[in-house]
Amino acid sequence: MRWPRRKEVYGERRAARAVAVTTATRAGWQGALWGLVFGATIAASASAYAGLFPTTASRARMALSFQGNTAWAALFGPLRRLDTVAGYTVYKSGMTVIILGAIWGLLVATRVLRGEEDAGRWELFLSGQTTRGRAAVQAAIGLGAGFVALWVPTALLTVGAGASPKVNIGIGASLFFVTSLLAAAAMFMAIGMFVGQLAATRRDANLLGAGVLAASYLIRMAADSDAGLAWLRWLSPLGWIEELRPLTGSRPFAFIPIVALVAVLVVVAIRVARQRDLGASVLASRDTAKPRTLLLGGQAGLTVRLTRPVIAGWIFALFVTGLVFGLVAQAAGTAVRGARGLEQAIERLGGTSSGAASYLGFVFVIAAGLVAIAVAGQITAARNEEAAGHLDNLLVRPVARWRWLVVRLSVALGLVVVASVLAGFAAWLGAVSQHADVGLGELLKAGLNVIPPAVFVLGIGGLALGLWPRGAIGVVYGLVVWSFVVETIAAAFDSNHWLRDTSPLLHIAPVPAADPNWTAAGWLIALGLLAAALGVAAFGRRDLVGA
Amino acid sequence: METAIRTENLSKTFGSTEALAELDLEVSAGEVIGYLGPNGAGKTTTIRLLLGLIRATRGRAEIFGLDAQADPVRAHRRVAYVPGEASLWPSLTGTETLHLLGRVQGTVDIAYRDLLIQRFELDPSKKVRAYSKGNRQKVILIAGLMTRADLLLLDEPTSGLDPLMERAFRECVDEAREDGRTVFLSSHILSEVEAVCDRVAILRAGHLVEVGTLAEMRHLSALQLEAELDGPVPDLSTVPGISGLEVDGSRIRCQVTGPVEPLLTVLTRVGVRHIISKEPSLEELFLAHYGADGSEGGSEDAVA
Repeated sequence: MRWPRRKEVYGERRAARAVAVTTATRAGWQGALWGLVFGATIAASASAYAGLFPTTASRARMALSFQGNTAWAALFGPLRRLDTVAGYTVYKSGMTVIILGAIWGLLVATRVLRGEEDAGRWELFLSGQTTRGRAAVQAAIGLGAGFVALWVPTALLTVGAGASPKVNIGIGASLFFVTSLLAAAAMFMAIGMFVGQLAATRRDANLLGAGVLAASYLIRMAADSDAGLAWLRWLSPLGWIEELRPLTGSRPFAFIPIVALVAVLVVVAIRVARQRDLGASVLASRDTAKPRTLLLGGQAGLTVRLTRPVIAGWIFALFVTGLVFGLVAQAAGTAVRGARGLEQAIERLGGTSSGAASYLGFVFVIAAGLVAIAVAGQITAARNEEAAGHLDNLLVRPVARWRWLVVRLSVALGLVVVASVLAGFAAWLGAVSQHADVGLGELLKAGLNVIPPAVFVLGIGGLALGLWPRGAIGVVYGLVVWSFVVETIAAAFDSNHWLRDTSPLLHIAPVPAADPNWTAAGWLIALGLLAAALGVAAFGRRDLVGA
Repeated sequence: METAIRTENLSKTFGSTEALAELDLEVSAGEVIGYLGPNGAGKTTTIRLLLGLIRATRGRAEIFGLDAQADPVRAHRRVAYVPGEASLWPSLTGTETLHLLGRVQGTVDIAYRDLLIQRFELDPSKKVRAYSKGNRQKVILIAGLMTRADLLLLDEPTSGLDPLMERAFRECVDEAREDGRTVFLSSHILSEVEAVCDRVAILRAGHLVEVGTLAEMRHLSALQLEAELDGPVPDLSTVPGISGLEVDGSRIRCQVTGPVEPLLTVLTRVGVRHIISKEPSLEELFLAHYGADGSEGGSEDAVA
């Protein structure tokens, strides 16, 4: 049979725009989703202020209690005008949006400008009607579209919250605030484009970018800790955002280094992309290595070897988180004592104590959430092993399926236990250094207390891997996000207990503000283990499923 | 003689697609069998069922008498598998990958592994992510062969290898045959199968349509015959077994199925000046099952 000849002719311009359209589509969806999260975070912080601090006196007391608290400033940036809704909103949501925006900007840029090349897809684009330089320009335009998609929902929700009479922040101030915070995303997109040209793999590019982010954070941390070091802020991209002082005395001239950095890095990245060979990098990559076989004796060792950087990263992150909680507990506990709204929030979560212990009980729920995210990451890694076909290499050899999944879940459990206990220990170190009246035993219990919800999340993740492998990552992250959302609602409002019961984070007591609820913890662990066992059994009975 | 592979009524359905239908196949220990079929015929599905990576919808698969679906771990102790596309851990080097896979398998002939590294000219100090497709394939090929397992399940193992490396691979299959090991070779390279296999099984749309030695298949297939006669071509329409007759003056070309004697009797009456007969190649046998346009092929993506 002869098929009728039909030639589809796309315009050359349209064909040449393929990179920009593909990049804009991917970055746009992600940006819009993050924009909704950022906008909601800012709106929630602004709207909660009036409820938490209803009187002028309570606001003044809260602002006073933070005055001169360098630990707090090191963590969240300079605390200005905390007796106003604007100042409180900056403190409460600013650093979170800045850091998450920077991470997203970095990841999305390295994905487009190195990840696509790693995967071999970039050469398909380059074999079409474009060149290396033009493709890089288009990628930059696509990322720009992604930034706009991030900015629009963040701005709409912030302006919307500002229009409320209780918040009362003008449109101009709101837009300046949003643009200031999201400048971090723009800068780290540009940094991502640049390190994508320096490094040979996306992973290395991400490491370089993460190094820049960590250095920026630490430099501004030092600058905010001591007034004599304030000049250091000008050496850090995150410091420039602080110098903008959104909502607390705007200084638009600090946009100059931000815009300059973005412009220079984008231009340099495009020039390097135009001049270098496909697959090459400015920094030479090590394609060979001496064999390190210590952990390669079997499947368990391999799991540790493959997940080692992530495990080390999470343990370090939880340790630092615990340490920071401990460092600020004393000052924050004093602030809590003055704020009826915050005390009510802790009471809603089941806490009874006051002072540092009360504060730690409140914030350790955040640690529980972080550990749950670490678990979700481990479930993702397990699923990716199967989806990429790596697991086939083990299962075609004498390795039982149940054993593989049990080992993977056990490594994740080990991470949970070590990270949780260390978080508790680090919190004690921090608290003791500030002469807070909280004992080591109490804080180790606080650390152990975050394990049961993580075990529950791990079990549900294992069950999803067994029953619905392609949906497992969505299920486990969905559970974690839902738990956070319900926990936030439960802390801010008197909520329905049916709703509260759906969040594993709300089944634990806020230790050390209250005694551990061993019964609830036991149930969470038992249900988690049961779900994991069912997942392992189901995994043994199903087909292996690719991506 | 021990049976290396036995399948009974082995079937696999993906949704509404029947990837493999009632496969009954027996492979004796020490045999080298080629497994042929176009994309989507069910070759990879068969191998993944034999390895227990996917569950059979119906039927049974045995490896050396062990239920491959119910007891894969014991069965795998005697099996080495080489896939057509190597999905290895990009951050490990070649040496680390071979070390890991050898440890997981449990048995490795170290001297043979080193010989294979030389034979396939692999630089094992490189990280997997720095290897070309062909070099990654060499790693997974060496990882399978170095175990000297009793049964080699090879699914298009020379995918991405150059002709020199293909020759090295054939040497390895010959060594396995000499050792009395069993080789199950799924391949698209018909010359490779023709060169190394004792028997061939042909699969079409999930159904086994032919199993036998090449000699048996040729015997059952048409003989290609060309002749130049001394006089005009006689009426050949009544001669049994003739097909595809082409006449060009005193020359004829045709295929003959079954005994060739009736045709020769008619031709010798006229006088034969020149005659050539040719047995079908594996390629011709293969195409005879599918048609030269490959119209019987399905979609590999959908089922394999």
